[in-house]
Amino acid sequence: MRRYLAGRLLLLVPVLVGVSIVIFLVLHLSPGDPAEIMLGSQATREDLARLRADMGLTEPLPVQYVHWLRHVLRGDLGRSLWMKRPVLPEVLGRLQATLLLTATALVLSTVGGVALGVASARWPRSLLDRLSAVASLFGASMPSFWLGIVLMVIFALRLGWLPASGMFAPYGGGGPLDLALHLVLPALTLAAASVTIIARLTRSTMLDTLGQDYVRTARAKGVGEAGVVLRHGLKNALIPIVTVVGVQAGYLLGGAVLTETVFAWPGVGTLMVQGILARDFPLVQGCVLVVALAFALINLGVDLLYAWLDPRIRYE
Amino acid sequence: MEDEKTMRTTALAVLTVLVTLGAAALAAAQPAGTLLVGLVAEPVNLDPAQVTDLNSNRVGRRVVETLVTFPDESTQIVPGLAESWTVSKDGLRYTFKLRRGVAFHDGSPFNAEAVKFSIERQINPEHPFNKLGKYPFANFFFGNVKAVEVVDDATVEFVLKEPRASFLAVLTAGAASIVSPTAVRKLGADYPSQPVGTGPFKFVSWERGQRVVLEKNPTYWRYPVKVERVVYRPIVEDQARLTELLTGGLDLILGTPPDSVPQLEGNPKVTLLRQVGAHVWYLGINNQKKPLDDRRVRQALNYAVNKEAIVRDVLKGTGSLSRGPVLPGTWGAETGLKPYPYDPERARQLLAEAGYPNGFATTMWVPESGSGMQSPVAMATVIQSNLKAVGVNVALQTFEWGAYLAKLRTKEQELFALSWMAGNEDPDMVMFPLLHSSQWTPDGPNRALYKNGAFDELLRQARLTTDQARRAQLYREAQRILMDDPPWIFIDHEIQTAAHARRVQGFKLHPSFDLRVETISLR
Repeated sequence: MRRYLAGRLLLLVPVLVGVSIVIFLVLHLSPGDPAEIMLGSQATREDLARLRADMGLTEPLPVQYVHWLRHVLRGDLGRSLWMKRPVLPEVLGRLQATLLLTATALVLSTVGGVALGVASARWPRSLLDRLSAVASLFGASMPSFWLGIVLMVIFALRLGWLPASGMFAPYGGGGPLDLALHLVLPALTLAAASVTIIARLTRSTMLDTLGQDYVRTARAKGVGEAGVVLRHGLKNALIPIVTVVGVQAGYLLGGAVLTETVFAWPGVGTLMVQGILARDFPLVQGCVLVVALAFALINLGVDLLYAWLDPRIRYE
Repeated sequence: MEDEKTMRTTALAVLTVLVTLGAAALAAAQPAGTLLVGLVAEPVNLDPAQVTDLNSNRVGRRVVETLVTFPDESTQIVPGLAESWTVSKDGLRYTFKLRRGVAFHDGSPFNAEAVKFSIERQINPEHPFNKLGKYPFANFFFGNVKAVEVVDDATVEFVLKEPRASFLAVLTAGAASIVSPTAVRKLGADYPSQPVGTGPFKFVSWERGQRVVLEKNPTYWRYPVKVERVVYRPIVEDQARLTELLTGGLDLILGTPPDSVPQLEGNPKVTLLRQVGAHVWYLGINNQKKPLDDRRVRQALNYAVNKEAIVRDVLKGTGSLSRGPVLPGTWGAETGLKPYPYDPERARQLLAEAGYPNGFATTMWVPESGSGMQSPVAMATVIQSNLKAVGVNVALQTFEWGAYLAKLRTKEQELFALSWMAGNEDPDMVMFPLLHSSQWTPDGPNRALYKNGAFDELLRQARLTTDQARRAQLYREAQRILMDDPPWIFIDHEIQTAAHARRVQGFKLHPSFDLRVETISLR
């Protein structure tokens, strides 16, 4: 087990190097450079050349990459071209907000999705099952920015129940309740697509499990309905559900970019969008690297969870 | 049964508590004396010498000030940190008498040394603080400055390399702000995150992605500031900003999208403000490419486009018709000019005279968005259909902003949408860079590759004299030339919009695009 874990952690290195090379190339090869954007339409060629040299953008690409990598190995993600501040504290300062939002959305979508899926499987073709199918189609096809704005208009503007944006009240707020209220709309928006995916998958796996012989046996020996569905049914259906929840965790982490922008949530997503628009290479590379690391660790966590759920699975 | 009832009651009670607490938390969002401002993007850097974006400027310029400035309603030049000034006969020496008894927020005195320090850190590569920041516009604004000399504690002299009558206008720019040398020495590269100046507000804190907080400067030299503190919140999404304004999470928002203007106009809770800005939106024409090099063709294009329709239907009234680069109503504007009327018949006639009775095909480049670009794609689409109606078939190509600016340096453009925010009303600050033949791209911003000998000469002369009446005369003549030999299709000057809650009193939008919240009092 320990060897397996060490191996998996070691494998993170090539993954992250690969991710960093891809993002480096995508950023540097996409048209438009940071000097151009910073100086805007008023720039002279001379100003541009000087600023590019100042920012170290005149070196050949491989040299720039190696230079950046060397800094990363020393734990320094460079300085943001646009904000002129070190990248690492900027990203870490925002990571907490993103993780909070993602985790809340993940809990919401897992609990909601599994409950909905189990109920739909237990009573197939019932009104609930049909409604859940329609809701799934709706949830999966609604772009999150649209859903976010609709929820905002209903719950913040019309009903006035919840704050429209931000993480805390602009002045004087700051308690856990304030945070929780601000979290509701972005978390629901982010969770919407995942909850339907998890619900649909749970439903089909549960239908499968509930048709198994051991479920019939359980019923035959007089186990209560809740015990049959949850202990004998759900527990055996968990492996594929955990897999899809793991995938959704990564999806939510990426999807947070849009949701954060809509709700002015001060996470890595808003920072990354700002960085991309400004072609702030070090900033975007830093954000992507941190998010990729988080994604890889979640995947690892999911793999370890399998062994705990199904004792037959062993990592040697 | 009993159980279910108890459960229902409990759930109801919990819900009531939550909603009450929630309402209490929401109501707490409007503390007395605190002004909440919604920005369209987060500031990136609060040292105005280092920034290139409007939002950073709008916040940073509350903290620092310039030697000369604008009054609250126009862009005419008035004394700021300098009480008075004289210009030498040859136009090369500007001597400023500084206001005495003004102190920076850190307590250190404002004096001639501070002025020298603020400018020289940007232009002198040997200056100890030159390397601590990047000053992207130092060359654009101060490339012409030979030296800044301290005459005495309250007198400072700028020596220029060559005369430039718009130099006072240059000194109103954010880059010309006077910073506390003590603070820059102490904070070094961190200065842009916690600026120190002489302005109406002191910097307090900046929580990234959430808010920048400023607090009033109780000893502000100009007048007593009535707002205790200002909280700036960056909210990118238009609907979120609007909702926050309507629900009390914000007092003042900028950048109301044209489509929401009617919605806000009818709302009794808010006041909608409009103010035309020192800005021009134009459809550039490559003056060197056939058939666009023919003056009659360029005139025809101006007649062909229905600018009124663009301003009315696309911009929903957030633009005012343009008759050239200079903003109407300012001292340099030629009052006798009328915008080109919408006259497709005249356009066809001119095209025929130029030898294109059946029109021609060309391309139009447009950025998807960009600073000062209003609604570029929608506007370009109207222009495209107007031109098609007179036989000019335009292929529309859209670009992302950063890529677009690079593309315009290739000189391959035919028609292209662009805008310019001069931020002040001196005609030299817009006409010279955009249209003088020495400013051709890629070295300068004249991307239309316009060249007119008589026009060039008028602009040169206007730079050499500091007599404003004489300069106005020269610029008016230059504008008449532009009308007859149009470099672009003239479209509009942006009308900025802002909306504020009823409790905000005494606020005006400024034509320079600055956001002067120091004039506000809260009811």
